[in-house]
Amino acid sequence: MVADDVRYPEVLRIEALGKSFKGTPVLSNVNLTVHRGETVAIIGPSGSGKTTLLRSVNFLTPYDSGKILLNGRLMGYVERGGRLQPDTDANISRLRRSTGMVFQRFALFQHRTVLQNLIEGPVHVLGLSRELACERARTALKTVGLSDKIDQYPARLSGGQQQRVGIARALCMEPDILLFDEPTSALDPELVGEVLSVMRQLRGQNRTMLIVTHEIGFAADVADRVVFMEAGAIVDDRPAREFFGKPKNARIEAFLARHRNERSSSI
Amino acid sequence: MIEFAATYAGLYFRGLLLGLGLTVAAMAGAFLIGLFVALARLSQRRWLRAAGGAYVALFRGIPPLVLLYLVYFGLPAWAAQVGNPFLIALLGPLDNRLLAATLAFSVNAGAYTTEIIRASIQALPADQMEAAKSIGMTHGLAMRRIVLPQSLRIAFPPLCNEFIVILKGTSLASVIGVTELMRSAQMVAAATFLNLQAYILAAVFYVVAVIVLQTLSSIIELKLLAGTRTGD
Repeated sequence: MVADDVRYPEVLRIEALGKSFKGTPVLSNVNLTVHRGETVAIIGPSGSGKTTLLRSVNFLTPYDSGKILLNGRLMGYVERGGRLQPDTDANISRLRRSTGMVFQRFALFQHRTVLQNLIEGPVHVLGLSRELACERARTALKTVGLSDKIDQYPARLSGGQQQRVGIARALCMEPDILLFDEPTSALDPELVGEVLSVMRQLRGQNRTMLIVTHEIGFAADVADRVVFMEAGAIVDDRPAREFFGKPKNARIEAFLARHRNERSSSI
Repeated sequence: MIEFAATYAGLYFRGLLLGLGLTVAAMAGAFLIGLFVALARLSQRRWLRAAGGAYVALFRGIPPLVLLYLVYFGLPAWAAQVGNPFLIALLGPLDNRLLAATLAFSVNAGAYTTEIIRASIQALPADQMEAAKSIGMTHGLAMRRIVLPQSLRIAFPPLCNEFIVILKGTSLASVIGVTELMRSAQMVAAATFLNLQAYILAAVFYVVAVIVLQTLSSIIELKLLAGTRTGD
């Protein structure tokens, strides 16, 4: 199962993934592998299945066919007698701990302070002591530069600050892979930079990241690999330098040109 | 009128307190019923959804007065008639007026409370459940720690409204002889022949009680929302 051309183990392996919503196919035969320490950006036009693909990884959106393997373990289904059957909620939840997700609209727990948001998972899912969880939370808050907001409620924070708390919440679970679902799409343009700079910092720490984004410049700058999706399928998957240096086809080239013009300011 | 009020205020007040006690007990029952039936209505399992829907359809449809008669006059008598010792042990206690009234109002209000809680859970953005799951919570844990605490805050104002509806509904318990406020008024009217005064005073007691409850609920509502809103 281990790819032979890399040193690091596979954190995520997606094989022949398929998904339909009410008969309309949204993902077909998607194959993708992410190794430890890699940053992979998924780009492509809206409706191409990027977000569905990302949400399949932690099974927030169940897939219909194919396989998702997290650290070699099948997500969402169990194999019994050669057939795939839906796994239990408890097992799915346990496997989800190896993933962390950052949502487009932050999705912070509104009734909890920043600190409470961060220790919720470590205390009630991982069973850590409150002290240990708070320590983790402080470290994560330092990473995202929000140590002074520890006792604030999310509603009092700006969008950029909320998203950085969202990243910190994911970090506190110490996941093997971070999933970003268009983390800057809901932000005012002037707040995009602070979130991207935190993500850049995580890149520097060699975190494993799978990022759905419209920030083409950021992808070019930070991603090891770029995956281009169109109509539910992966059209291109190459190292960032090659991907941008020599676009595979005219459609990708046009897409890149259009997005470079739209948003070149944010970084 | 003032002299009349002064004479009977104590009696009315005791009636009101009994009605309030009955309301608190019925609301507690209705809340428990509402919570579980609402979760059933939102369950992944079809038969649970169907059972929850049937509960609401049935008990929202039966007028509370009919339910009160069924519970108080119907069930204990039926158990005695059948003669099954288990049924008698289970339903016999319902010949207690207060117990019968509490059960009837709980079951009736439970149907409305179900809909209030269900709507409040659905009013919460779906991403709260997803975020809870994304940090590894099971469905049940996410419900308990993330969804319900927020949903019940949304549900609080309509639940207070339901409390007031139950309080006024307790006047129906006068027909099975519970000496709540309405029953007190009937007794005073019968004894003094001052029907208008007797029932005006009852109306005044209800209105004042409801205004006090509304004020209390507004204060609690503000406290519950502290911190979770932007601004101020």
